[in-house]
Amino acid sequence: MSEEKPIAAAPSTPRRPRAWGLAHGESTVALAGLAVAALVVAVLAGASWWTLRTHRATVGHARQNEVGVVGRLVAVSAEALLADDEVTSARRLVSDAAANYGLHRCRIVLGEDTIIADAEPGNITMTVLPETWPLPKGEATGDVVIDAGVATMRVPIQVRGKGEATLEIEAPVAQPAWADWEVQAGIGAIGAFAFAGLLVVYRVMRTRWRGLGAVGDALRSEAQGRATTGSLALSETFGAEAKAWNTLVEERDTLRAKVALRAASEQLGDRGGQGGSLASACDALWQGLIVLDAAARVIYANGAASVLVRAKRDDMIGQPLASFLNDPKVTDAIAQVAAGKTRQRASSELERVSDSGERSVLRVSVRPMRREDSAAAIVVIEDVTQQRVADESRNAFVAQATHELRTPLTNIGLYVELYADEGEKDPLVRSKCINVIGTEARRLERIVSDMLSVSEIEAGALKLRGGEVRLDALFEELEADYRAQATEKGMTLTFDLPPKLPVMNADRDKLMLAMHNLVGNALKYTPAGGSVTVKAEADAANLTLAVQDTGFGIKEEELELVFDKFYRAKDKRVGEITGSGIGLALARQVIRLHGGDITLRSQLDKGSTFTMTVPLTPAGAKKAA
Amino acid sequence: MDIQEQRHGAVTVLRPQGPIVQADADQFKAAAMDVLGRSMGRFVVDASAVPYLDSPGLEALIGLTDELGASGRVLRLAGATDTVREVMDLTGLSDRFEHFQDVTTAVRSFL
Repeated sequence: MSEEKPIAAAPSTPRRPRAWGLAHGESTVALAGLAVAALVVAVLAGASWWTLRTHRATVGHARQNEVGVVGRLVAVSAEALLADDEVTSARRLVSDAAANYGLHRCRIVLGEDTIIADAEPGNITMTVLPETWPLPKGEATGDVVIDAGVATMRVPIQVRGKGEATLEIEAPVAQPAWADWEVQAGIGAIGAFAFAGLLVVYRVMRTRWRGLGAVGDALRSEAQGRATTGSLALSETFGAEAKAWNTLVEERDTLRAKVALRAASEQLGDRGGQGGSLASACDALWQGLIVLDAAARVIYANGAASVLVRAKRDDMIGQPLASFLNDPKVTDAIAQVAAGKTRQRASSELERVSDSGERSVLRVSVRPMRREDSAAAIVVIEDVTQQRVADESRNAFVAQATHELRTPLTNIGLYVELYADEGEKDPLVRSKCINVIGTEARRLERIVSDMLSVSEIEAGALKLRGGEVRLDALFEELEADYRAQATEKGMTLTFDLPPKLPVMNADRDKLMLAMHNLVGNALKYTPAGGSVTVKAEADAANLTLAVQDTGFGIKEEELELVFDKFYRAKDKRVGEITGSGIGLALARQVIRLHGGDITLRSQLDKGSTFTMTVPLTPAGAKKAA
Repeated sequence: MDIQEQRHGAVTVLRPQGPIVQADADQFKAAAMDVLGRSMGRFVVDASAVPYLDSPGLEALIGLTDELGASGRVLRLAGATDTVREVMDLTGLSDRFEHFQDVTTAVRSFL
C-alpha cells in the first residue's frame, strides 16, 4: 500500500507549487513547445545553410563554364591572329575579353615568361612576335581550376610554323553579396511566420496539452514513487483527458483496494482456518460492517451495510463514507481514529428519513484497525429504530400515566379531607364526598385497567379468550349503554344494523372494549345536537362496523397519530375534554389481535368515521384461546 | 388478494388474507418487496390469515427471505397456520424462516 496519510473527508485535486513560473501540467507543455521551437530553428538554419551552399556551388559552376568557353574562344581566335602575325589584333582580343567577362588576368605567354599580349599593356615584355621561342613552362590542359574563389585556366595555342604559346586566364568567382542577403531574409521571414504560427497553435492547444502535461507529471510522480493516495487526481478543468485520467486512477485505486481487502481476508481466513468464508460470515451479520482505508474510502461493505446506508455495495467501494453517511459526528470520529488521536471506539446515533418518509435511527460505531492491516478504520452500523421507538413509547407512558393518575388521586385526597372536616356534621357533604370518591376510584380503575391492557399487549401477554359472540345481543347492550348519554346531550344516536347478524368467534369482552371506545369517543367529541351513526355489516368472512359522527373532526396529519398511545389531538376543543389517549390505541391493538384493523376517515369540523373490520373466525383468536 | 399493511412502532407488518397461490403469489411478493425496501428489513409477515400456499407462494416467501438474507436477516413469519407450517416442514424450507407465535412476539424480536 502507499504511505498512510490522515484521512480526509474526500480526495481533492492537489495543489502543487509552481516551478519556473509554470502552472500545474504546463512544464511538460513548455518543454514540448521549446523542443518544437528548437526543431524549427534547426530546420530553418539547415535549410538556410544548404540553400546558400547550393546557390554558391551553382554560381561557381556557371563561372567555371563561362571562363572555359571564353578561354577556348580566345585561344582559337589568338591562334589564327598570331599565325598571321596580327599581334596588335591579338592584344585587342585579349583586352576585350578581360573587359567583357570580368577577367583579372588574360594574357598570351611565349615560352616560359615572354608576354606578347596582356589585358594590362604594361605587363607586355615583347612587342614583336619572334620567329621562334622555347617551349612553355608547365603543362597547359585547357581545364578550368577553381581555388580560393579564383578560376584559373591555361590553354595551349599552337602558332603555326613558330612554336607553342599559352593563354593564361584568371577570373574571380565571388557571388554578389545581395544574393546571400536575399536568401537569408527570405528564410528569416519564413522562420518568423513559422514562429507566429507555432505560437497561435500553442495558444489554441494549450488547454489540451496542459491536461496531457498534467497526466505526464502524475505519471512521473508515480514512476518516482512520490505519488500518494489522491495526489494523482487532476482538476477536471484540464479537459476530457483529465477526466479520463481521473476515471482510470479511481479504477486503479478501487482495484488496489479490492486486492488489499482480498489479501486481508485471505490472511484473516487463514488465521482462523476458515479459508475464504470471512466474507460470507460478514454477510450473515445483521449489523452493517464497513472497512475504510486511510483516505476514508470504503474498501469493504457487507450486505447489511448497503441496506442500512441505502446504497449498492458495488457503488460504495472506493467512495468516501461521507457520500453515504454524511453526518458531522461520524466524519469527525473517523478523522480522529484515522489520525491515531484515539484508540477508543467512538459511537454516535443519527436519524435518517428516507424518500418515502420512513424514519430510521442508526447507531454508528467507529473503531481503529491495527496498523499492519491495510484499512484504517472499521465502522459498525446498527439499526436501533425499534429500540428508540420503544424508549419513546415507554417515556411517554410513564409521563402520561403519572399525569392521568394524579388527577383522580388529587380529587380523592381533597374529598377525603373534606369528609374528615365536615362529613360528620353535614350529610349532604358526606354524600357528595362519597360520590366523588367513588367516581374517581372507578376512573382510576378504568385508567389502570387500560394501562394494564396496553402493557399486556406490548409485552405479548394479552390473551384473547375466544368464544361464540352473538352480535345482535352485543349491539343491544352497546346501544343501551350509550342511549341515555346521547339523550342527555341532545344527540341523535342511530344504530343501522342488518336484520340478521351472524355469530362470530372472538373475545367478547375485548371486542366490546373496542366498540365502547369507538362509540364513546364519537359521543364525547361531538357537540350537543350532533349525531352518531353506528352501522354494522357482515359478510361470510368479516364484520364491518362504521361509527360516523358529526363531531370536531381530525386534521389529516393527525389521522394516524390518534392511534398512538396517549396521543391526543391538538384541537383546543379536544383538550378541554378529559381523556387518557389510550382508548383508540387499545381498541386498534385488540382488533389487530383478532386479525382485523381499525381505519379512520375524517374532515375537520365535519366529523369522523372509524371503520372496524374484524374476521368472523380469526386465526389469532383461535390460537390464543 | 387483500393485503393489509400495519405499523407496529418502527416495524411494518404485512398481513395477506387468503391463500398465497398462483398470481396472488406475485402480487404478494411485489407488495412485500416494496415494504422491504422501505422498511430497511424491519418487516414481519403475519401469516395467520393464510390458510395454505402452493409452490409459487413458497417461492415468493423464499425470494423474500433470500432478499433479507443479503443483509444478514431472515423473514419473520408470525402466526403461521398448521397447514402452512406442515407445507414448509415437508419441503424442508421451514428453517429458512424465523417463526413466531404472533405478531407482537415477532415485533418484539426487533428490540
